[in-house]
Amino acid sequence: MAAQVALRRQQAQEESEARDLRLLYPCTGIGGEAGIPQGSSISAGVPVSVSSSPAAACFDVFGSENQKDDKRFYRERKSFLCIDGSRMIPFEQVNDDYCDCEDGSDEPGTSACPRGRFYCTNLGFRPHYIPSSRVNDGICDCCDASDEYNSHARCQNTCWNLGQRERAYVEGQMRTLDEGLRLKQQLIEEGVLLWREKQAQLRELQQVAEDLQVKLEEHRRKKHEADRLKEQTLKALEAGDGGLIRHQNSSVASIFHLLDSNKDGSLTVDEIKAKVVLVHDEQRVLSEDEALALLDRGHRMDLSKFQSTLWDVLTRGDTVKIKDTQGAPGSLSSEDPHLKAADRAAEWEATNLKKVEEAYETVNMEISDLQKKLAIDYGTDWEFLFLNGQCYKLKVYEYTYTLCPFNQVTQKSTAGVEVSLGMWGMWTGKPKNHYSQMVYENGEPCWQGGSRSTTVTLTCGTETALRSVKEPSKCQYIMDFQTPVACQPVLKQQGIHSEL
Amino acid sequence: TASKCDCTLKLMFLSFGTWAVDKGNFKTCEQSAFCKRQRALKPGESPYRALLETMELTNTRLTLQLINDNNKVRLLLELYRLQGNITRVKINELKPLKPRYEVPDVLIREPTTEPLSVLSQDENGVVLSLGVESQRVIISARPFRLDIMEGSDVLMSLNSRGLLAFEHLRMRKDTQADPEAEKKEEADPTTKEEEEKVEDGMWEETFKSHTDSKPNGPSAVSLDFSLPGVEHVYGIPEHADTLRLKTTDNGDPYRLYNLDVFQYELYNPMALYGSVPVMVAHSAQRTTGIFWLNAAETWVDISSNTGSSETPQTDVRWISESGIIDIFIMLGPTPKDVFSQYASLTGTQSFPPLASLGYHQCRWNYNDQEDVKSVDAGFDEHDIPYDFIWLDIEHTDGKRYFTWDPHKFATPKEMLQGLMDKKRKMVAIVDPHIKVDGNYKIHNEIRSRGFYVKNKDGGDYEGWCWPGSASYPDFTRADMRAWWASMFAYDQYEGTMENLYTWNDMNEPSVFNGPEVTMHKDATHGAWEHRDIHNLYGLYVQMATAEGLIQRSGGVERPFVLTRAFFAGSQRLGAVWTGDNAAEWGHLKISIPMCLSMGLVGISFCGADIGGFFKSPSTELLVRWYQAGAYQPFYRAHAHVDTPRREPWLFGPENTALIREAVRQRYTLLPYWYQLFYRAHVTGEPVMRPLWVEYPQDLATFALEDEYLIGRDLLVHPVVEEGARGVTAYLPGKDEVWFDVHTFQKHNGAQNLYIPVTMSSIPVFQRGGSIIPRKLRVRRSSTCMEHDPYTLYVALNLQRTADGELYIDDGHTFNYEKKEFIYRKLTFANKVLSSVNLAPDAKFTTDSWIERIIVLGASKPSKVTLKTADGQEKQLEFDFDASMSVLTVRKPGMNAGADWTMTFQ
Repeated sequence: MAAQVALRRQQAQEESEARDLRLLYPCTGIGGEAGIPQGSSISAGVPVSVSSSPAAACFDVFGSENQKDDKRFYRERKSFLCIDGSRMIPFEQVNDDYCDCEDGSDEPGTSACPRGRFYCTNLGFRPHYIPSSRVNDGICDCCDASDEYNSHARCQNTCWNLGQRERAYVEGQMRTLDEGLRLKQQLIEEGVLLWREKQAQLRELQQVAEDLQVKLEEHRRKKHEADRLKEQTLKALEAGDGGLIRHQNSSVASIFHLLDSNKDGSLTVDEIKAKVVLVHDEQRVLSEDEALALLDRGHRMDLSKFQSTLWDVLTRGDTVKIKDTQGAPGSLSSEDPHLKAADRAAEWEATNLKKVEEAYETVNMEISDLQKKLAIDYGTDWEFLFLNGQCYKLKVYEYTYTLCPFNQVTQKSTAGVEVSLGMWGMWTGKPKNHYSQMVYENGEPCWQGGSRSTTVTLTCGTETALRSVKEPSKCQYIMDFQTPVACQPVLKQQGIHSEL
Repeated sequence: TASKCDCTLKLMFLSFGTWAVDKGNFKTCEQSAFCKRQRALKPGESPYRALLETMELTNTRLTLQLINDNNKVRLLLELYRLQGNITRVKINELKPLKPRYEVPDVLIREPTTEPLSVLSQDENGVVLSLGVESQRVIISARPFRLDIMEGSDVLMSLNSRGLLAFEHLRMRKDTQADPEAEKKEEADPTTKEEEEKVEDGMWEETFKSHTDSKPNGPSAVSLDFSLPGVEHVYGIPEHADTLRLKTTDNGDPYRLYNLDVFQYELYNPMALYGSVPVMVAHSAQRTTGIFWLNAAETWVDISSNTGSSETPQTDVRWISESGIIDIFIMLGPTPKDVFSQYASLTGTQSFPPLASLGYHQCRWNYNDQEDVKSVDAGFDEHDIPYDFIWLDIEHTDGKRYFTWDPHKFATPKEMLQGLMDKKRKMVAIVDPHIKVDGNYKIHNEIRSRGFYVKNKDGGDYEGWCWPGSASYPDFTRADMRAWWASMFAYDQYEGTMENLYTWNDMNEPSVFNGPEVTMHKDATHGAWEHRDIHNLYGLYVQMATAEGLIQRSGGVERPFVLTRAFFAGSQRLGAVWTGDNAAEWGHLKISIPMCLSMGLVGISFCGADIGGFFKSPSTELLVRWYQAGAYQPFYRAHAHVDTPRREPWLFGPENTALIREAVRQRYTLLPYWYQLFYRAHVTGEPVMRPLWVEYPQDLATFALEDEYLIGRDLLVHPVVEEGARGVTAYLPGKDEVWFDVHTFQKHNGAQNLYIPVTMSSIPVFQRGGSIIPRKLRVRRSSTCMEHDPYTLYVALNLQRTADGELYIDDGHTFNYEKKEFIYRKLTFANKVLSSVNLAPDAKFTTDSWIERIIVLGASKPSKVTLKTADGQEKQLEFDFDASMSVLTVRKPGMNAGADWTMTFQ
């Protein structure tokens, strides 16, 4: 109640001010009984009373800051100069429902001029202009109903309600903004910490990498040495080539003697059957025929024949072997203990080197990942950094959308098919508000060409959440993403300055 | 909406990679057995003879038997003289094996006949008097031939080339399936005698994977017409071709077979979505028309002797797959006579609601209610007027027409109310293919009532379309149509309100997996095959839908229904658009001859998708299309689902301003468009017309198709070339003057005028001698402008006279039929402008008044005096621009429905 009284008082005051300024010129010719100018009403200067407040329409043209300058044009005089200076008309022809001025300035209260504007005072709400084509078109545009002073529309004055709703809304917005900014400050602080943490992590990793590099070099050197040692040993073995052959010969002879049970200088079927077995079936005694085959189909075999036949078979070691022995008698040099040790050492060092190399690679990859992550623009205070690594979901009809900021956007149908709607591209907000929009590009290709992409608009809110997803054109998605870090102090100033 | 299912789209896109029709999907004449058979006939060998002794003449009906001397089959010829200078000739079998299809529901009534009399007769022929203007018909006996004469001039000859052919119905002889019958046939020598050669495709025909079982065998009909003195023929839409029809000697005939042609190609005679079998022949001496009333697949051959030294002559030949020969020869002699003759047969353009002449915003698809709301708000934000926003197939619950998507359009009435609050309207699509789904009310009802088209085996016909498996209601049944109409009642079609109107797409009908993407010809509609009725199906769909919209309002409100398929008579039912065009300059250009061709055969309410349906237009093309479309009857932007958004404000402020200006020009001219539609509704004259209609003797106009007239008084030469710096417009009439409507500059007639253009230019001229009313207060929608005042544009001719009309009614009801309208004649002569009542028995009142009069080509008066009906006089203020000779009378203020005179002294 008190508020209404206050409003009335305000209205009365404005009206009296207007009168003081002699602004209440008559509205002529804008209506007869049926809105048709009658013969008599055509004569200028006769005020016509139509609906509740026709006069309202006549001074509605004034009010806002930028309109204050225009007030002087409408002082009642004999004549009126179009604001663009193009023409002088009698003052009765101002607001007489006929467009005389090219710029529409003579008809601020009617629909007569194609490019005219009508001023809604909207006391209790926000004043604003509407195109003059919306005056008396049967649709209520001004909340104070002033635009429909001569139409069939029955408009209510809704300014007070609207104003109240708007005020409540703005208050809510302000609260959101306050809360958002507070949260944002936290997130900025966290962001800075996170940034530092990440930087520290990076430095740590880089240190690890450096250490690993030292280690790597050391291991490379060690491996190199072990390899050299192995080679030397091998060379040494090879260097005594006569020895090797001798060794081999004696081995041939010693095996021959081993097999030659009766030591008569030749091998027989029985001797073979007694000492030689199949590699894969040691338990079974060879058959007569098998033994005979090993003796190259002869019943006896001397050393020289043995060396050129059975010795080869035995050294190959893949079919038969000497009973109760391991492996083939050949490659006896590998059994050299020095060589064996050198070989094992080289192998050991190779394994070690590989491990260190792998570790080094892993660390480097982590570094490059982290560097890539840190190279992204997270806002002036790294306030968007915390979003990296998070994902936000929203279900719209039959699809679930997932936004993973700075990574990707996906869409999953209820059937379970997941489609990429784009990979992180860049910030695309206007220079004034660079961090208000981001784009994800090169998603799944579209059959008509091109690929899916998503534009994400960031708006201020107290929670971080995906608010809406739309696909206005095929394969072009629009998301509304709310987060405190999108809150801007500048918004708050605008809010404060709004005339409510 | 596009033809084809998505999968086919994909397939085509991938396999061809180009945006062009796959011609292989559609038959050539060679691939259509009857066309091939008929086209193989040689001229000059007619086997038909008139049996003069069988002639019977009652007062108004002449009958005569014709005999085919090759097979002895007799035909019955009927000849009528119809009121208004029309001659009707019907030829049917004398004793057909079973009845042949005669097209119902196209003629608005049984035409009124006039007396005929025999002037002379001998054994060679008969001469009949046609009553008026010394017109006669000469029937020659051997071979049969019919000549229509006026004085000593032959106006038209029938069977002059001997290409009359009438495939009589017969028993099947190639009875491979029934060897018993074959034996019997062979044992019967009498039938043997009559037997004709059985050719491939007579009893069965296969195209691609589809076999047409043809249980009735061959049944084609054909007839040739000679038009002496004629070099220009027009009409027989729908083809994406020149206005003036081309000769077909070196290619396929023009085909009339309603088809859903995916990405149609320009400048060829392929069939498209609709068919009007009407050809208009024009020469400087005379205009005539041929209406071939047959709804089966039809091909039209045109040949001409142009270039030879003989008297010019055009020969035309019509070939249809079944039915009878039923032709209406409209003898003019003027273009407007032909229009009214055709209108007397099939009716006139329906009188559309005024709002439907405004701008329509369409897209496949506006996704949900929020989308609709934001697009609607976009128009207000950018101050662009519009009247209708459209919803394509995605608004439904799973392509079940008459339903709404429960999530995206959960509260349709709320949405419609939101539009209504702004005095705007909506169109939602209702296609004729019905989803086969036991949980779908519409399907269950149609099935249980037995209303579906049947396949050749008697089951419900099923095909593949948007919803997947779908059946097709038999719209040829009156009871089916009545039921369909009842489904539009507000309590049946839930979520609808009076500002929701309807769009019938895919009504050729489109069947994705059918032969040539349509219905099998051996499907049945009761006693008839689909073959017989095919071209009529789309008309019936629109008829039932329009009836539904009328009925839901208790017969009060005029309907608005847009259709893609059409036939002769479709003009009575609503609007037609040129189907799924593409965002190419060629498609913008062809929209003019395509709509002109339709207008010539009665369908005035025609338009093309602004911007092009397939592909994405360049900004320049989009702007030019908005400009051209502003001056075509049906003004709707539409876009394929796979194209980026293109609402008018998405191309930067400059282009938004250009589009806004084009749409505003449209809205200022709505009073003129509306009265032209009223006239079209009364007279059948096209709204958008070729220049030769008004300048029938000016040979320079006969092939013009880059400019046209709206009514009689506005000449439009839209810019349809990329990067255009200027256009050359032909201004007709050596005694005419034309005023540039933007600059008011005066130009003489009978000249080619080069007009430099910028991106804002839309070259339009008002004819000197005309008065055009406009409403200059362009508002959010046409309905918002209802009570607004008029500005009269008086363009003086060399005699310093002008006249025009002003028609006003409520804009949306049938009350004009009860004489509730204002119809006035505006005349300027002897320095007096006056408004006289053209319909004194009509009554209507309007709030609208005359706010301004602009006289073009005026001289400066010393005073201007208005005298109103009550005898009062008053002086009016005026302004005279001497450089342009433009006089503007300030605020005369009289009511638009009143009598008044204004004197310029």
